[in-house]
Amino acid sequence: MKSRLLLTVLMLFTSYAFSQSFDVSGTVLDGSGLSLPGVNVKVKSSSQSTTTDFDGSFKLSGVPKGTVIVLSYIGYKTQEVVVSGTKITVKMSDDARSLDEVVVLGYSSRKKRDVTGAVTVVSSKTIEDLHPLKVEQALQGTVAGVSVTAQSGSPGAAMNINIRGIATNGNNAATVFIDGYQGDLSILNPTDIESITVLKDAQAAVYGVLGANGIVLVTTKTGKKNSKTKVSFNSSIGTQETSKKMSVLNATEYALLLNESYANGGQALPYPNVSGLGKGTDWQKEIFNPAPVINNDIAISGGSDKITYLLSGSDLSQQGIIGGPKSDFKRNTARLSLGADLASNMKLQTNIIYTYLDRDSLNENGLGSVLFNAINTPSTLPVRDQNGNYTLVPSSPGYGVEIINPLAQIENTYNDYKLRKLNGNVSFIYDITKEFKFTSRIGFNTGNSISRNFSKQISYGGKVFDITRSSVNQNTVNDNDYTLDLIAEYKKTLFGNHNIKAVLVSTVYKTWGSGLGATGYDVPNNSWKYADISLAKGTSPAGGRDVSSYSYDDRRVSYVGMLEYDFKGKYLLNAIFRRDASTKFGPENRVGYFPSITAGWVVSEESFLKDNSILNFLKFRVSYGVLGNDQIRSNAYTGLLNGEATYVYNGALINGTAIGGLPNPKLQWEEAKKFDVGVDFRLLNNKLDITADYFIDTRDKLLIPKIPVSGITGVYAPGASSPTMNAGSVRNKGFEFAINYKDKISDNFNFNIGYNITTIDNEVLEVANSTGYTEAGGFGVGQPLLPSRMEKGKPIGSFYGYKTDGIFQNQAEIAAHPSQAALGAATAPGDIRFKDINGDGVIDSKDRTNIGDPIANVIMGLNLTLNYKNLDFLAYAYASIGNDMVRNYERTLTDVNRSNYVLGRWTGEGTSNTVPRVTTGATNNNLFSDYYVEDASFLRIQNVQLGYTLNKTFSDKIGISKLRLYVGVNNLYTFTKYRGFDPAAITGPQNDDNVSQSSVGSGIDNGFYPTPRIYTMGLNLNF
Amino acid sequence: MKKYILNIGLGIVLLGALSVSCSDNFVEREPVYSIDSENYFNSESDYYNALIGAYDLLQSSYVNVLLGEIASDNTLAGGESASDVVGFQQVDEMTHTSVNSNIKDVWNWMFAGVNRASYILEFKDKTDFAGKNQILAEAHFLRAYYHFELVKWFGAIPLNGDKRFKLDDEKKIPRSPVKEVYASIEADLLYAVDNLSPDAPQTGRATKGAAQALLGKVYLYQDKFIDASKVLDKVIESGKYSLIADYSAIFENAGENGKESVFEVQYSDAEGAAFTCLQCSEGNVAVGFNGIRNYVGPVFDSGYSFNVPTPKIANAFEVGDKRKDVSILDIVAWAAANNATYGTGYKHTGYFNKKYLPRQGDSNIGDQNLTNPNNYRAIRYADVLLMAAEAYNRGGLDDAKARTYLNEVRRRAFGDTNHDISASGPALTDFIWAERRFEFVGEGIRFFDLVRTGKAAQEIVGFKAGKNEIFPVPIEEIQFANGNWQQNPQY
Repeated sequence: MKSRLLLTVLMLFTSYAFSQSFDVSGTVLDGSGLSLPGVNVKVKSSSQSTTTDFDGSFKLSGVPKGTVIVLSYIGYKTQEVVVSGTKITVKMSDDARSLDEVVVLGYSSRKKRDVTGAVTVVSSKTIEDLHPLKVEQALQGTVAGVSVTAQSGSPGAAMNINIRGIATNGNNAATVFIDGYQGDLSILNPTDIESITVLKDAQAAVYGVLGANGIVLVTTKTGKKNSKTKVSFNSSIGTQETSKKMSVLNATEYALLLNESYANGGQALPYPNVSGLGKGTDWQKEIFNPAPVINNDIAISGGSDKITYLLSGSDLSQQGIIGGPKSDFKRNTARLSLGADLASNMKLQTNIIYTYLDRDSLNENGLGSVLFNAINTPSTLPVRDQNGNYTLVPSSPGYGVEIINPLAQIENTYNDYKLRKLNGNVSFIYDITKEFKFTSRIGFNTGNSISRNFSKQISYGGKVFDITRSSVNQNTVNDNDYTLDLIAEYKKTLFGNHNIKAVLVSTVYKTWGSGLGATGYDVPNNSWKYADISLAKGTSPAGGRDVSSYSYDDRRVSYVGMLEYDFKGKYLLNAIFRRDASTKFGPENRVGYFPSITAGWVVSEESFLKDNSILNFLKFRVSYGVLGNDQIRSNAYTGLLNGEATYVYNGALINGTAIGGLPNPKLQWEEAKKFDVGVDFRLLNNKLDITADYFIDTRDKLLIPKIPVSGITGVYAPGASSPTMNAGSVRNKGFEFAINYKDKISDNFNFNIGYNITTIDNEVLEVANSTGYTEAGGFGVGQPLLPSRMEKGKPIGSFYGYKTDGIFQNQAEIAAHPSQAALGAATAPGDIRFKDINGDGVIDSKDRTNIGDPIANVIMGLNLTLNYKNLDFLAYAYASIGNDMVRNYERTLTDVNRSNYVLGRWTGEGTSNTVPRVTTGATNNNLFSDYYVEDASFLRIQNVQLGYTLNKTFSDKIGISKLRLYVGVNNLYTFTKYRGFDPAAITGPQNDDNVSQSSVGSGIDNGFYPTPRIYTMGLNLNF
Repeated sequence: MKKYILNIGLGIVLLGALSVSCSDNFVEREPVYSIDSENYFNSESDYYNALIGAYDLLQSSYVNVLLGEIASDNTLAGGESASDVVGFQQVDEMTHTSVNSNIKDVWNWMFAGVNRASYILEFKDKTDFAGKNQILAEAHFLRAYYHFELVKWFGAIPLNGDKRFKLDDEKKIPRSPVKEVYASIEADLLYAVDNLSPDAPQTGRATKGAAQALLGKVYLYQDKFIDASKVLDKVIESGKYSLIADYSAIFENAGENGKESVFEVQYSDAEGAAFTCLQCSEGNVAVGFNGIRNYVGPVFDSGYSFNVPTPKIANAFEVGDKRKDVSILDIVAWAAANNATYGTGYKHTGYFNKKYLPRQGDSNIGDQNLTNPNNYRAIRYADVLLMAAEAYNRGGLDDAKARTYLNEVRRRAFGDTNHDISASGPALTDFIWAERRFEFVGEGIRFFDLVRTGKAAQEIVGFKAGKNEIFPVPIEEIQFANGNWQQNPQY
């Protein structure tokens, strides 16, 4: 066999030398007549190929007359041209969703026309249009069924990608692969990305146990063969500001309200004289400041006939709109992509990315966060006292013990986090025969982070943030993983019309790492400058441990078999079978099997529709498959002595051993059963493109971490926890609809408008732990009843509290209503009336019920781009409808500041039926009820941009191929009724994997750091 | 050259095929740097270390003391507002139901303690070493301690011998009647009495005297007066314990683990703590909760103003009783005398539980309200004396001896013999019970004394006889048990 291969190679060379031929030069233009650089130009009958230069020109030498040349470029329709002379000009139609575009599906790829799963591709064009600071933002509102939320608006905060709803209270983020290896979007420079493929249905079954939450496949850019060196440089500079300021009371309003509240409570007026108080301090104005963001990246690419290369670097630095440099983010990336043809049928491709992240952060999104304090600190207090020191918020019960001067809090916050990460892959592709291809590839991540937290010795005058002894905590973490894939692919056409592709994959994954942390006390001079353990030589009192460490090692071995079949490109079938073995499960249930099948019928290929003048393309798809999930904490199947066992002997702490999490040896795979039926069609000369899907995703044997179990098992001991169990079922079903219309009105004007909508109906089908629910989250202070539930028949994470029924207007109404005394305090006119849900004639904790949920019922995206002569304009918007949010940023104490809606409070019979009275006395009004649940539906104008591209004739003169200048606004405006900072605030409690956030307990707003509005100007330069 | 490359290519293919064949062995790995809980107890130090884990849960009994005191007529819940720790407020008002996260804490944490003690006993025969009986006896003592708390709070509870409860045991193992629970506690304590050293190997660990005193208490709770008097006399006759002459010295830091301490729960300020895991704190969480709200002044640190004494108890002390000023802080007088300021919380009475208030001078590691180092004097010698007095009196055994023990306590309280009691019979019983109230105010004992003596309904507002003697089993537990356990009457 080897010798035959060799022969083939030799013959290629000889034919090259002996043919009668001439040199061809050509130019490739895009739809608007501009030259198109980077187009692949290939001689169909040989391996000869090249790429167009910056001015769209190419040269092929020694091509025989009549040769067919294939021109292809992502986002454009592939064209074939027959060589008839020495000069040719090709105009390519910029069909952004070309059906011949090759879609990466994981271990394999397929032409878009033939894809049978629910798959959406986001091209580099969209990313280049949007200029997102983070890759995830490119999926916001652009892909039907995908919801992207930020864990915070602060620079560098993590983002969650949810595909087709939320199916688990564990990790519900989609799994990301970069060029085939498991990766992390947050460390990528967006402009390095060629395409993002989102697998939403059973198509993701090739990833078996990783596929349940959907799959995001990232393909990075590579250099093009036979192309001159091309340099692409992008630079932008922007300024950020808060997208919202909440309306709180000014000093006079506050003083008047307090007087009324004290009077109602039978206490002396705190502000007998309110004149001269004026507006007082606007704390939000004090903490929100414009902050810069600067983003630069450069890529140099090119290639010879055997080698391709791409070298890129980027630098992003972004300061926070709160605290400026105290919430600072910096991301540097460097990337090298190299491709080499070792032989005509053997290719080596490598891609290495180095990322450096530096992030400093403030106390955000929690009780006692900077924003929480800014909202709750009264406007009557000045920023600084007479001595120029930050004013202390008084230490009295009315102000609570968590509320401190937010500016002092910012100033006294010192931390630093640095991550250095190297990741990449090497693949070896060997076309053994025309039919048989073998790929071997290894991808890896290795990251080292160091962090430092300085707790300055500080007194806020009797608050919980007072620190009597300075300390510095330092941590170093090392994380590694590799993914080794071996892929064999066999492709053949039988009897002319039956196309078969069989793929066999073996993949091995290992992740391991360790962390080490330590604390030193008594930092010299109480200063950040000296905050290092080498100088902070104090230790904890006797027996205290100032050090900690952890290690982990998890692995997976998987085999995938895949069979693709089509008949004449009309009837398409794709069967996938995957076997996974994972260390997340015990020996008895270590192995899982995941089958799926997808099928399609390209109706437009049938004779009765072929060449129909209106309907250009019509395909029906259907898919069903079982996928898995193993995203739980390590070793949950076995009992380990990692609990806390600390007591005091002889007056000093002593540490022993105790059992940690309760093991569950019966743990097994979570099963995601995904059904999808869809249709793709194109009308009116491919101008109108529609994709519609209906899906039902049922998650069975749901792995519920820390599921509540009986306390007799000891799970509430220090350091212990409830087991993880396969004990639930959640169903998400809904419609997805995406429509895109593009048209070219004239040579000067074209436009594209896209709209997508997804409905999601989320329901918990089962929680198998006798109580029928699990609960989490937190509301208020000292309220032990948890506000969020995962409960049968309700959406996951639904809010659970009292239902209100207006305000008691008078004593008679109170007397006529079931007693509310069991809630804790006496009721008076002006207090909230709660509904007697169970009808037992008394209002108590058993009257709590479902009062909303944080999951949107409908999400939408609207994207518009226009090109007129040299001008281009784009506007992207997205919306979320039906999501509720809990207002938990109010400290509900007597002397704290309030939102200005309290101005419409109840002050006497008939004054208000929504906002209760104010009083310093005891009331039940602060209990968790639907009074605190608000509709957080919103429509956000995410991106508006206007660009100008320099005339080609002019740019040619100065030796560049393209220069575009633009201005834009990110997060321009949000339409919402929600009163808090950001209706898109979805943060949940951290899961026990210490990475992801739980969907149970999410949607509770403690003063969410809003996503900033960014005004940007920038340039794109190619030469 | 080409051939060479082709060979490499084929080599990679072969290597790939080989690595595939290594297959599932790859996922058979041991967890790194960890110890399997079921392959433990291989050395003396393993037992010793596991015992520390069993002691650890004593610290979480702060909530038993705090909530037990609030339940009594001694104190009100207090706090910031009516909705501040609703569970405390409800117990204070006697409106608590099976939905009460603080009562749930008592259940969960005490069973966690039972679990850790049983873990040691489950493997008691695995490895032999000298001195093993001492460690096993401590495990028995601790299990008895936790079981006694549970039976006081909830009545009948499930028992599982020397084994940990497994998942689903709640659906199979019934709640043993109170009598059986007490039998198990007695058996554990008898073992402990026989095997514990009279002197603790390290301060903080259980002693023979501690086991005897607890056994005496357990007998007394069952009205087994003869058994109680015998075992309590052994504590008294051991000569190891005595009353501290200055009552006020007992509750200060310097007075910890003193001569009067028969058993003391140890706390420390050496480690930080957070509200997310109160049972993880090494400090006495109850102390911060008792603290004076927004206090600025000498001696004390501030806190959350829970568990505030009522005027009823403050005014009940006899004139000349030195215990009043040690037990109850009159904040108005104190503030005036010491130029201190304070805030008023919910149900402010003007009084604070002075025995267990946060003191200045500890390391204040965050959250400083949760890391107060005040040890809880679980069984004081005064308690032993008064229990013995009660046993001799109520058992009709020896009123003279009962008076001697009672008056020993009273002489310290008043500093003279003028206040000696000379009554006998039921009148003496009333004096002994009254003495307990003043001697132990603020120590979480009163509610259970009222219940066992049948006086709760007359002393506690809202107390319903036949219902409130015990607390409801947490609703979740009833649900987990899936019909196996019934809720306590009338809840």
